[in-house]
Amino acid sequence: MRRKPASTILSTVILVSALGSVIQPSVADEPARDVFLVGATIHPVSGPEIPGGTLHLSGSSIVAVGADLKVPADARTVDVAGKHIYPTFVHAGSVLGLTEVSAVASTVDASENGDLNPELRVEVAFHGDSRLLPVARAGGVLYAHVVPRGGILSGSSAVLRLEGWNWQDMLVRAPVGLHLRYPPVLAPRRSFGPRPPKTQTEVDEERKNKTEALKALFEDARAYGRAQDAGADPPPTRDPKLEALQPVLRGVLPLFVHAAEHQQIAEALDFVEALEVSRVVLVSGADAAEFADRLAEAGIPVILTGVLALPRRSWQVYDTAFTAPERLRAAGVKLAIADGGSSFEAAHSRNLPFHAAMAAAHGLPHRDALAAITLNAAEILGVADRLGSLEAGKEASFLITDGDVLEITTHIEAVWHLGSEVDRSSDRQWLLYQRYRQRPTGTPPGAPP
Amino acid sequence: MNHGKSGIAPGKVRGPVVAALLLSAACGLAPPRAAAVDLEAWRSPMPEQIPILLVQDATIWTSGPDGTLPAADLLIRNGKIAAVGVDLAIPAGAVIIDGRGKHLTPGIVDAHSHLGIAGGVNETGATITAEVRIEDVLNCEDPTIYRQLAGGVTAAQLLHGSANAIGGQSAVIKLRWGAPPDDLLFEGAPAAIKFALGENPKRTNRPDKERSHFPTTRAGIAQQIRERFVAAEAYRARWRRFRAGEGGQEPRRDLQLEALVEVLEGERRINAHSYRADEILMLLSLGDELGFSVAVLQHVLEGYKIAEEIAAHGTGASTFSDWWAYKFEVLDAIPYNAALMHERGVVVSLNSDSDELGRRLNLEAAKAVRYGGVEPEEALKMVTLNPAIHLGIEDRVGSLTVGKDGDFVLWSASPLSTQALCEETWIDGRRYFSRKEDLAARAAWAAERQALIAKIRALDEVLPNNGEATGGGAE
Repeated sequence: MRRKPASTILSTVILVSALGSVIQPSVADEPARDVFLVGATIHPVSGPEIPGGTLHLSGSSIVAVGADLKVPADARTVDVAGKHIYPTFVHAGSVLGLTEVSAVASTVDASENGDLNPELRVEVAFHGDSRLLPVARAGGVLYAHVVPRGGILSGSSAVLRLEGWNWQDMLVRAPVGLHLRYPPVLAPRRSFGPRPPKTQTEVDEERKNKTEALKALFEDARAYGRAQDAGADPPPTRDPKLEALQPVLRGVLPLFVHAAEHQQIAEALDFVEALEVSRVVLVSGADAAEFADRLAEAGIPVILTGVLALPRRSWQVYDTAFTAPERLRAAGVKLAIADGGSSFEAAHSRNLPFHAAMAAAHGLPHRDALAAITLNAAEILGVADRLGSLEAGKEASFLITDGDVLEITTHIEAVWHLGSEVDRSSDRQWLLYQRYRQRPTGTPPGAPP
Repeated sequence: MNHGKSGIAPGKVRGPVVAALLLSAACGLAPPRAAAVDLEAWRSPMPEQIPILLVQDATIWTSGPDGTLPAADLLIRNGKIAAVGVDLAIPAGAVIIDGRGKHLTPGIVDAHSHLGIAGGVNETGATITAEVRIEDVLNCEDPTIYRQLAGGVTAAQLLHGSANAIGGQSAVIKLRWGAPPDDLLFEGAPAAIKFALGENPKRTNRPDKERSHFPTTRAGIAQQIRERFVAAEAYRARWRRFRAGEGGQEPRRDLQLEALVEVLEGERRINAHSYRADEILMLLSLGDELGFSVAVLQHVLEGYKIAEEIAAHGTGASTFSDWWAYKFEVLDAIPYNAALMHERGVVVSLNSDSDELGRRLNLEAAKAVRYGGVEPEEALKMVTLNPAIHLGIEDRVGSLTVGKDGDFVLWSASPLSTQALCEETWIDGRRYFSRKEDLAARAAWAAERQALIAKIRALDEVLPNNGEATGGGAE
């Protein structure tokens, strides 16, 4: 086993704190003092990489990034020569914090009943001490766009830090936008329950009813907004559903349109065009690449629901999903890469960079692949003023690695967040690893004679 | 095997392929054109076996005693590995592949797959189903076979699901795309059977209480397995008495107990779906008590807690690289599982259990390097040699060792790199996947598809109910 001296020291320190009787908060409360990380190749994402660069932090923010920063003689410096520094990842669509064990329904708050719930606010259900969060952090994911999954209008999403004391403390931005899940166009070919799959006629009927209800809700909301603007006296009776739609109708917040299958995407794009919603983000899979030109022309960004995916259809070429990111980028579509956003995937969000890596292996330029899980995601979510790249004024949230962050064999040696190194005392996986690697060796009881 | 001999598809130009073969064989330089690729099995003819194939100057990960050899050669004669080494002499008539800048590994072996099963992965009609067999329901036209070839997979164990404490008999196949079901089967692979412990056979995740049954606890599962082995032991004794002429009627054949007797005789390998340390210890000690051994623990996500007990039983561990938290029983799963078990002497493989994940098992191996610092060569063995050991086929595949089958993969970069592309996949000295040919064929596939759609549309115009009459078909 090859082990870097630095990480051995790190492990020891963590072990001591983990076995100690006091559980330390993950972010140490240190007095505000400027820190300079010196000597690493810095990958700001917002610009070209800086070999032998310096990252200057003050408090929770980045002060400067550059090749020739002056380091005061008495400053606290961290020698990271030979290492690489990247911004932490921004997961562009997850139920992290809303889910714990996907098979145990009582631990999942991802999906509400009812079709039209625009007033749901997901951040209030975010479990800041979810045991999934430390695992995501260790994998470099420090921000997540937390997205509700139920119904047709699922509610509003939020961007949260995956480190902190509670959801209010961890909140970066809410609401980020409303989520419309366009009903399926094609009948399923099989069902997993006791009932037979819906017929095409049933699916068409259901879609017609649901989209009509949706259209009616949008019309009501528009009327509601007009009444508000006109200063109607008495004012319209408060209606949380109709209020929740106002920011989208007024173009203040985007409408995230979820549609995965080709015909569903086509209909969904027509549908929101007819609604005259000015800001739309498409959340979709590889089929979105078939609409690359239309999306580019309309200025609709795409959040891809994963790259590590099979072709949807038997006749499609094997790398259909792998090449979709580059096909979108080449057409000029702004692109973030996420995963499918399920409860299962929330637990595996540390694999986010490997979705981007597969896209890079299939044509997406390396820097665009990195941007798709950092800066582009932040821009699409309206939080790029604070995160997504290593630039002056942004949150000091970054990874120190021993190589290319898009390589699985690379180790994330340290995670810094808001100016401090994140420890792993709440990372149950890490603690179990430390505990069991120290199990004494010897013939165990129960072995056959 | 003679699959595909008569299956030349319309539009397939066979002449140039043969000509290119002869040409390359003659001059010993040109890369081989072993087969035309296709996305459908029925018109994928069996690729030609190259009599003498020499890959030169590749970085060869042997997964064997030779370790990793830079700028080395691999010689395959009549589908078997004839030599591995540096600067091998070029035999007369050899077809040569230039391996410069490329990496060459053994074919990937997936010890836990559900590809190519024509429905019915779980036989849920009974709780003990040792008599049902995957080999009866192989679907050789599953496009997953081709897609996994494109990820370097050459052999896989096709398992039943985990609904039953004692499930059905699994099948080991080679991914010979285009071959009929019987020719997919890995000739001579030891027989195996699926067991399952914990939440799935308890079926406590099922909300439908009316379909509840025994067992619904781990204790129930243990008792059920014990009861069946006690019955199998008695069944074996009846047959022994009868065969020894010690009297009694000829026992009535019981296919279920027969399979379990094979387990007791060491002729059928148990692959036990398991997660928690307690249930694993239960099964190992049940084996000690009743006289069976467990060949492979599948998933075995808490194996790291009892690695020595597993190693002491000579039991293999075929695990996920990093899955966890999808069920309560996998809350303690950690990505360091493979590394910890490996360090304590367990033979560890990394499997897919997924048509999608199965296409990138090389990258699952990379996770053993990431989590726990397994050496790269040992990590690669977790998807090559070690799963072959788990399936009992290590004398045939799993490493690039003289005498083994000519199953190998050519990669554009280190197989542990996310940037590596699988360029060619060979089985038995036959090239079953070529990325170059796949890319070259795409325009023709798309054109053919459009032509077929046009024909269907034309029929639609003359036959108003055409869509219904033909039943739809592929999307």
